[in-house]
Parts: sequence; structure tokens; C-alpha cells
Amino acid sequence: MGLNGRWRFFARSLAVRPRFAVGYGLVALAVLLGLFAPLIAPYSPIEANSRAFLQPPGPAHWFGTDSVGMDIFSRAIYAPRIDLTIAVLGTLLSACVGTTLGALVGFYSAGRGPRAWLCNSVMRAADVLQAFPVFVFAIALVAVLGQSIQTVVLAIAFVNMPIYLRLMRSQVQGIRSMRYVEAAQVAGVADHVILRRHIVPNAIAPVLAQLSVNVGWGILLTAALSFVGAGVRAPTPEWGSMIASGFQNVATGQWWPSLFPGLSLAVTVFGFSLVGASIEAFSDPVRRQDLAAAMERRAARSAGRQLVKAGI
Amino acid sequence: MRVARYLLQRLAFVLPQLLGIVLVSFLLLKSIPGDPAVLMLGPTATPDAIAGLRAQMGLDKPLTSQFVLYVGHLLHGDLGTSWQTTRPVLDDLLQRFPATLELVTFSLILAIAVGLSLGTLSALRPHGWVARAVDLYGLAAGALPDFWFALVLIFVFYSAAHWAPAPLGRLDISVIAPATITGFLTIDTLLAGDLEAFRSAVAHLVLPVLTLGLINAGPIMKMTQSTMQKMLAADASRYEALCGIPERLVVRHALRNALPPIITIISVLYGYLIGGAVLVEIVFSWGGAGQYAVQGVLNSDIYPVLGFVLFSAVFSLVVYIIVDLVYVLLDPRLTH
Amino acid sequence: MPDRASGPARGFERRRFLQRSAAFGGGALLAPLAGATQAQAQAGSDLLVIASPATPQGLDIEFDVSLGSIDSLGALYDYLLAYDTIADPKAPGVMREDTGVHPDKPYGLSLKGRLAEHWQVAPDGRKATFTLRQGVRSNWGNLLTARDVKWTWDRKFHLKGQGLFQTAVLGLHSPDQVKIEGDHVISFNLDQPNPLLLKQQCNLANPIYDSTKCAAAGGSADPWAVQFLKNESAGFGPYRLRQLVRGQQAVFEARDDYWGPTPAIKRVIMKEVPTSPSRLALLQGGAVDIAQFLQPRELHALGGSASVAVDAVDASYAIWLELNAAMKPFDNVAVRQAFNYAVPRDEIIRTIYYGYADKQTAPMPYIYPMANESYFDYDLDVAKARALLKQAGLDGGFSTTISYNAGDPTQEPIALLIQTSLRKVGIQATLDKLPAGVFYEAVTSRRKPVIFYLDSPWTPDPGYSTYLYFNQKSYVDYSNYKNPAVDALITQGLATLDDKARLQIYNKVQKQLMSDAPWGFLAYPKYTLARKTGLKGFTYYTSNNLRFQDFRHA
Repeated sequence: MGLNGRWRFFARSLAVRPRFAVGYGLVALAVLLGLFAPLIAPYSPIEANSRAFLQPPGPAHWFGTDSVGMDIFSRAIYAPRIDLTIAVLGTLLSACVGTTLGALVGFYSAGRGPRAWLCNSVMRAADVLQAFPVFVFAIALVAVLGQSIQTVVLAIAFVNMPIYLRLMRSQVQGIRSMRYVEAAQVAGVADHVILRRHIVPNAIAPVLAQLSVNVGWGILLTAALSFVGAGVRAPTPEWGSMIASGFQNVATGQWWPSLFPGLSLAVTVFGFSLVGASIEAFSDPVRRQDLAAAMERRAARSAGRQLVKAGI
Repeated sequence: MRVARYLLQRLAFVLPQLLGIVLVSFLLLKSIPGDPAVLMLGPTATPDAIAGLRAQMGLDKPLTSQFVLYVGHLLHGDLGTSWQTTRPVLDDLLQRFPATLELVTFSLILAIAVGLSLGTLSALRPHGWVARAVDLYGLAAGALPDFWFALVLIFVFYSAAHWAPAPLGRLDISVIAPATITGFLTIDTLLAGDLEAFRSAVAHLVLPVLTLGLINAGPIMKMTQSTMQKMLAADASRYEALCGIPERLVVRHALRNALPPIITIISVLYGYLIGGAVLVEIVFSWGGAGQYAVQGVLNSDIYPVLGFVLFSAVFSLVVYIIVDLVYVLLDPRLTH
Repeated sequence: MPDRASGPARGFERRRFLQRSAAFGGGALLAPLAGATQAQAQAGSDLLVIASPATPQGLDIEFDVSLGSIDSLGALYDYLLAYDTIADPKAPGVMREDTGVHPDKPYGLSLKGRLAEHWQVAPDGRKATFTLRQGVRSNWGNLLTARDVKWTWDRKFHLKGQGLFQTAVLGLHSPDQVKIEGDHVISFNLDQPNPLLLKQQCNLANPIYDSTKCAAAGGSADPWAVQFLKNESAGFGPYRLRQLVRGQQAVFEARDDYWGPTPAIKRVIMKEVPTSPSRLALLQGGAVDIAQFLQPRELHALGGSASVAVDAVDASYAIWLELNAAMKPFDNVAVRQAFNYAVPRDEIIRTIYYGYADKQTAPMPYIYPMANESYFDYDLDVAKARALLKQAGLDGGFSTTISYNAGDPTQEPIALLIQTSLRKVGIQATLDKLPAGVFYEAVTSRRKPVIFYLDSPWTPDPGYSTYLYFNQKSYVDYSNYKNPAVDALITQGLATLDDKARLQIYNKVQKQLMSDAPWGFLAYPKYTLARKTGLKGFTYYTSNNLRFQDFRHA
């Protein structure tokens, strides 16, 4: 289709599926806020100002202040820096390791012999990993490695790795039996070249769709870890820990320290899910056809309207 | 006979898997900083006392022997002791696990009800507004943090509207718990004939079940939607429709055929929720097993965590085996 | 004179922050209205229901100082001596121990005899003789004799638990120093005079056991009745244990055969309610008479209630930051002083404690006799702090970490306020959150530069308190403070009975300590009791516990 054509397709599909537009918009908003927070935020996100503690939302503090007087609006827009960074890094790490392993396992798991046995063991190990209660495993990892951004990233990566492993493996197993792969093998092309040039590009589509959704999960897991106190350190602005520190205050009638971070969190994850749905739509040929058909209908309608306006 | 052989085959896989899980958890949890002897004896402990307890607990031995010791105890039903509650972990878990199970089971029932109905509806009219709303609901449910959603529900239904009871556990504090038979308060109160306690148990279940059920309906809904769409588009359903069979029946038949992947998702969810309900347990002070395990990890109290991991792994495996067994019994194709 | 302190006996232990960690971040949410179905308050006028963070884990003070345990001890057991009680001048309706210096009274202390009817200390201060009351029966029916006291103290030597500290602090190195002089006469024989000799008989950690019952219950296998005393009491106090279901409740009932006046409260139910919002709800709903250990924020919310009252008394609690003198740059006194000038104490007390605390102005609890608050100079002064840092050669500031206990909900907000304030002075502090178990280890292993500590020594004596925290041989000198001159003064003050001399000595000690600033002084949290308005009789003890026999329903 060519690069230009692809972009046009993308843009027109956004018009046809407004929800995708919303998704990309939300993600873009989160990224922009993360990047430009220092320029936008009215207050410092880590400055405790006890004179202004627990103020309700008002002109001075749009989202109010928390129990040590930090401005919630500023913290809420600084939070994407941490949450997004952790979630994206964790997801990318798990995807890289998982897809590589998955491709190898999927490719070599045929037949008997030591290689197949190794693949089997990897899958059994993944089984064991997945049988773990996810949340408890993540907390345990953070407890062992210490509380820091790096360890939360690692925890997310560990927990999500089996997903990519399985996904890639089943994709590769499907493609491995294709004719063109057989042809390449017969022609004597090296294994890793086959993997790189033929198999992976064709198998990658569902992985890409999964990536975006996973970033959303990663944000949720980070928030959950911070909520129980195993995530990032205070006073780093992070949605989950903001919800946690505001929880006690709801009992005494101050709802704003927990509500706004939760809302921001939900909206951002929602955006990522929408983006994931859009990628899924683009990569699935059947749904791509649906989209194309919808775009044709839309073009036809607007052409028709123009004709009507022109008085024909 | 067929069943017995199948079970044996599965169990043969299950035991090494369980062992693997216990090994990995053991190694992981033993790496958590915090000396159990110091924690158990408290601040006034002399270095001698600490050393003595460490020797007694076998903490001065290499990890492999500690693991062997642990498995040995396990085979005798001794899951170790929690230094926080000072009770055997087995007792603690037997008390808390049913609480989690009750919560998760009812939530799953709600999730299934919501997921199946909405999924089927949206499969029937794939381009209608219902389908679009359902899509959005699915995405939204997956985006909401469950602990935050619980907070919102509490705020609306308890703080503002005063309909729901205070989120302080499974029963009103003034109500006496019935004798424990199943551990499910709803069942035990009915068995004991205590209607007031039953009402209290149900009232306290409402908000947490709503939270978990509404949020976890998403995956069930999506799987139902996609599988039903395929079934309804399949030749068999089209033929039925052509023959004039009422839509209701067509849908029912399609649903029955669509069940296997849906049941798989449900079983995965069931296993996941045992550990995944932790945050909701914490918010509602439920006293469940997940909360117990999290407290264990955070306080370097590792036997509760090991016990919990074991319980939930066994539970998941049992659920999977039951589900597979059901398939084997129902679908003649699977045994050949 | 204590030659080796193996550990303090005081109120705050891991159980305390354990129970707080059970509260977690999101215990529950309540509007300040009672739940509709709560009203089950079966308040007969002789029943007391307490919502407690935890039931007693063990009833043996030798091994367990958890919250529930210390609240039961004072009721189950009796002591040789006790302080007289006086009305608290700041808290109407509350009584408190009279721990002050009374030159007109025998031995300078305002004491009353409990199990001991008469007592005297030899003029050289090395021997104290106690004549026990006769006809005192234990909850098992056995009469009190000197054998019981001997057995109690022998047990401390043999079991080497808490008791090791109790013996060390009195300078007792052998069980032979506690001598039976008659059926009802017992003496303590010291190598050197010790001003703590009488005070320690009031200490919660020294209850007298019924040795006849204990020996019978333990037999030859367990001669010190360790197993028995964990789950049962064998003592001379006004209550007996009726039922103990750990994790749920403990029930106590008053004894008819108690030697003293029969308590107004005949039955006590201590229910375990781990989270403070739940305890608050129970109190507001009328289901309990006392809700223990509520957060300052929750106490504040109880302000306007007609059915609930909050008593807040000046207490022996203190919370401070250990500044590790073995780690740079806190080995430099100017840096420690600068740190203290940068702490916003008033803000902390206002916003975190809602006024339920006072500034920490001395290196010991401010309620202690001879505590001197006049040497405190560290009110917030950023300029002074900066100047001191410059003097120390750290003009550009430095980085450090502040470690705090994840299980204590007040510590993180306090750390946040301090962090912001330190930034103004150029000190970049990273907050280091530690789970309860790890936190405790970090404190005792002394490997963090700055770490919170919350504690209360149980004996109201300046020597006891300063020895505990500042003598370099003390196990509890967590800040690694080493000042031989101060050590000498402290020890000197613990070897004389002359109160005038001690006053001078400990003034010097406190002056030096405040100047050396081994701690980041923070606050004295008050001991608070949230109770039903009609419940009277609350008496404050230095060991920060309740004694059921004090209470009555009005």
C-alpha cells in the first residue's frame, strides 16, 4: 500500500471509528502531560505545604490538596511520567524476552530430541510461573529486590512474559508449517534468517495489539502495588499511591485525594485499551476489510451530500 | 474407567507442577529480607536467643535442606507458623480461604450472568448500539482499578445513600457468626437457621461482589461475543434459522456449542481471582486469604504466603481438572 | 547499676507496628455516622467491652510485650509497690501516677504498698527489705509468701528473656541476691546503691507469680511454667482470665477473693478488631466502651460527639529520628544540630497529630521526674541550619535517606513534611519505606543514617531513660551515640540515692545531650483513650496500658 497510503488509511479509519480517535487522543494526552508536566503544573508535585492541607477543589487548587498539602492536580499530571515509564518499559521488556523465547520455542518444538525437550521444559516453566497468583508474585519480587522504579519494571516484565511467550509460540507454530517456510528450509537458508525474515514479521501482529493493552495492565499493576505500599517510594507522584494515601481521608469526608487520581488512571488505561483494539482491527485482514467498507460508505455518503448541496 | 485413567494421567503431571511451584515460591520468598527469628522473638531478644531459635527453625542450614524440611512438614500437613498471628498457617488459611472463595464464587456468578447475556446480545446484533455499548463496557471494565471502583461504590452506596452496610468485613460486628460448616457464611447461616445473620452476610456481600463481578465480566463477555458470532454465522445456525426455528432456540443451541472456550475463560478467571481479589478484600476488610498472603509478604512472614500459593495453585489445578473432566465426559471426540 | 542492658522493657514493640500494619492503607471508609445495625451495646453497669488491635499473644511478660498482653497484665497480676495516683492537671477526670520527686516522703517517692505492706531501704542504699501483706490469695487460692517473690526473680535469671534486663538494671548478677528473710519478708541485696530499687517494683514488667501453682502446673519438665503462663495467669491481681481465643477475644472476670477492693467492673471483654476505622465504628455505634489506638485524625473526628469522649494525657511516648553517629555526615555534631533546626515540629503536631502531641524538648519523656525542657533550642530556623552546615563544610548540602515504618500511618506524612523542610536547607532526603519486620531489623542493626523510632521507657527515672538510649553499652543506643563523659555522669547518677545530687547530674546530662543532638527530636504523642462518655476512672500509667480495675460506669 505504501507508507503514504497507510497513513491515509489510518486517518480515515479514525474518522469512521471515533472511539479509536478517542483512544489515540487519550494516549497522546497522557504522553504529552508526562513530557510537559513541569511546564503545565502550577505547583511542585513533591512539595508538602502543611498550611494548605486537605483543601477541597477550588480556584487555588483545582483538584484540592492532600493530607500533607501537596497539590493533587500537579501530582496527577506528573504521575504519567512514572506510571507510563514503568508500564511501557515493563511491557517492552516482557515482550522482547517473551517473543524471542516464544519464537524459538515455537520453531524448534517439533519432533523429538534434546531441542524439543528443552522447549517443553520452557513451556512447563512458564506454566509454573503462570500458576502463581500474579499480585502476590509481584509484591514478593519487589520485596526481594527492594522498592524502586527498576524493580517494579522487572515485576511487570516477569508477570507478563508468559503471555508473549505463549502468543508468539502459537503464532510461530502456525506459520512454521507454511509452504514458504518449507521452501526456505529446503533452499538451505539458515534458521535464524528464516525466523527473522519470514516468520516473525508475519507472526507479530497479535503481539503488537497485545502491547498496548499490556501497557494499560502495567499501569494498573503499578497502581495496585503502590496501593498496598509495594510500589514506588513516597513522595513520587503515582496514581496508585495517591489513591492509597487518600483512602483514609474519605472516612472524614475528603473524597478528592482518591477520586481524581483514580479517574485519571482509569481514563488513561481506557485510552490504551482503545488503541489496542484499533491495532487489532488494523492487523486482522477481515476487520481491515470491514473498516475499508465503512470508509467507502462514508465517502459515498459525503459525496452524495455534496451532490445534493450542488443542487443536482 | 476412562475417567479414572484420565484423572491419573492428569495427576501425574500435577504433582511435579505443584512441586515446581512450591520450589520457586520457596526460593523467591526466602530471598525476602527479614530474619524470622528476630521477628518472632521481638526487640528484647538476646543474640543467644536468636541464634537458638534460628538453629531450631533450621535457618542456619543451606536452602536446599530447608526446602526438603519444608516439603517433609508439608506431607504431614504442617504448613509452618505465621509469626504475626502465631498460629499454624493451615489453621489461618482454613479460616480465611472460604471467605475468599465465597466472595469470588458469587462475583463470578454475577460476572457470568452479565457476561453471557451481554455477550450473546451483542453477538445477535453485531452492528447495533447494544454491541457498541457492550464493547465500550468491556474496555472500561478492563481499565478501572478494582480498588478504586470499590471506593466509588462505597462512597455512593454507603456514605451518600446509606443503603449498603459499613465495609467492615463479612458480617455486622454485633451479629454472631454461625458454626463453621462450609465456611461460606451464606450457607452456614441458612443451615443454622439464623436469618438475621444470613441477611447481614448477604448485605455485606453486595458491594464487593458488584465490584468484582462487574469488572471481571469483561473477558467472559468478549469471549462469548466472539464465539457466539462465529457460531451464529456457522452453517448449522443458519440452517436452523432458515428452517424457521425460533431465534431463541437458535441462540440456545449456538450457546451450547460455544460453551467450551467460555468455560475455559471462566475457569482461568476463577483461579486468577483467588489471588486477584486481594485489593477488594483489603478495601472491605474481608479477612480473606489473599489479604493474609499480602500481609505476609509485606511483613517478611513467608509461611502464610507459601501456604496461600499452595492453596491457590491446588485450587486452580482442581478447577482445570474438573473442567477438562466435564469436557471429556460430554464430548465423545476428546477421548479418542 | 546496669552493667549490661540486653533490651529495654517498654511499650512499643514490633507488635505495635504489626497491628498498625494490619490496618493497611484502605481499612474502610465511614461517614461519621454509626452503621444502622450496630446498636448492640450490652452495657450492663459492670461489663466493660474494649475494641483492641489485638488480643494478647501470650500472657507471659517474660516473652511477650504485645499490646493486648500489657493491657491484661496490670489486671491479672499485682506488684510489690505502686505509685500513688493524683488527678491529672491537664485532663479533667483522669488520674495519673505521681512519679515526681517528693523530698518529704520516704525515699523521695510517693508510693503505696500493694503486695508489700512495709518496706525499707538500708541507709547505704544497698539493701531493700519488703514485708509482704498477709492473707493475700492468688487466683488459684494459694497464699502469698516470700517464696513467690523469690521464684519470680529466680525465673528472670533462668529464662533470660525480658527479665535479663530487669535484673541487670538493678545490678543483680545472681539469684542469691534476692533473699528470703522470713515467710513474708524478702530482701534485695545490691553491691552498690541503686535509685531504681523501689521504682522497679512498680514496673509492669515485674509482676509477682503464684509459685506454688506454677511449679505444680509446670512439673519437672517445665519448672518455670513457660507453657502454662503463656495461656494462663497465676497471680495476685484483681482479675482472672476467663477465656482466651487468640485473634478473637479475651474475657476476664473480677475475683471475689482479691485482697483489695472489689473492682466495679466484673467482666471485661477485649475484642480483637485489627483496623482502627472498625474500632471507631464500634465505639460510635455504642457496641464497645473503649476503642483503643485510634488515629489522630479519627480522634479529631470524634470531637463533637455527645456519646463519646476522648481523653488525651501527657505520656511517656516519644517519637524521634535516630541520627546514626557512625555514618557520615551525622558523625559531625554541627550536622545533627542543623538537622534539628530544619525539622518543622509545629507543623507536624498540627497536621499529623491534630494537636494530640507535644514538641519533644528533652532526651527523655517530659513527664519524668527531673526532665528538663529548658535546654531545647531547636525551633525551626532555616538560617541557623544553613549556617551550621556551612560550618561543617557542607555548604552545598548533602543527600541522605529517611527510613520509616510502613506499618505506622503517621510516619510517612511526618517524613514528607520533614523532607520538604530539609530541602530548603539543602539536604536531599530520599524516603525509604520499610515493611514492619524489616524496619525493626534496620533499627537494631543500626545500618541506616536516619530512621524513625517510637518508644516509651517504663520506669519514670532519668537515669533509667538516659542509660537506655545513650549509654554506649546499651543495646538500645541505636543512634551509636558515644560520649564517655556523659556515660560517666549517667552511671554516677544511677549509683546514688541523693535526689539533689541526681538533679544536678541529670541536668548536666540533658544539657549535653541536647547540645550533642544524637536524635532528630520530634514529638511526644499523647496517650489517648476514646471511650463512652459515661465511663469513668481512666488512670494513666507510665507503661501506657489500661488497668480494668480503675474503671466504672457512671
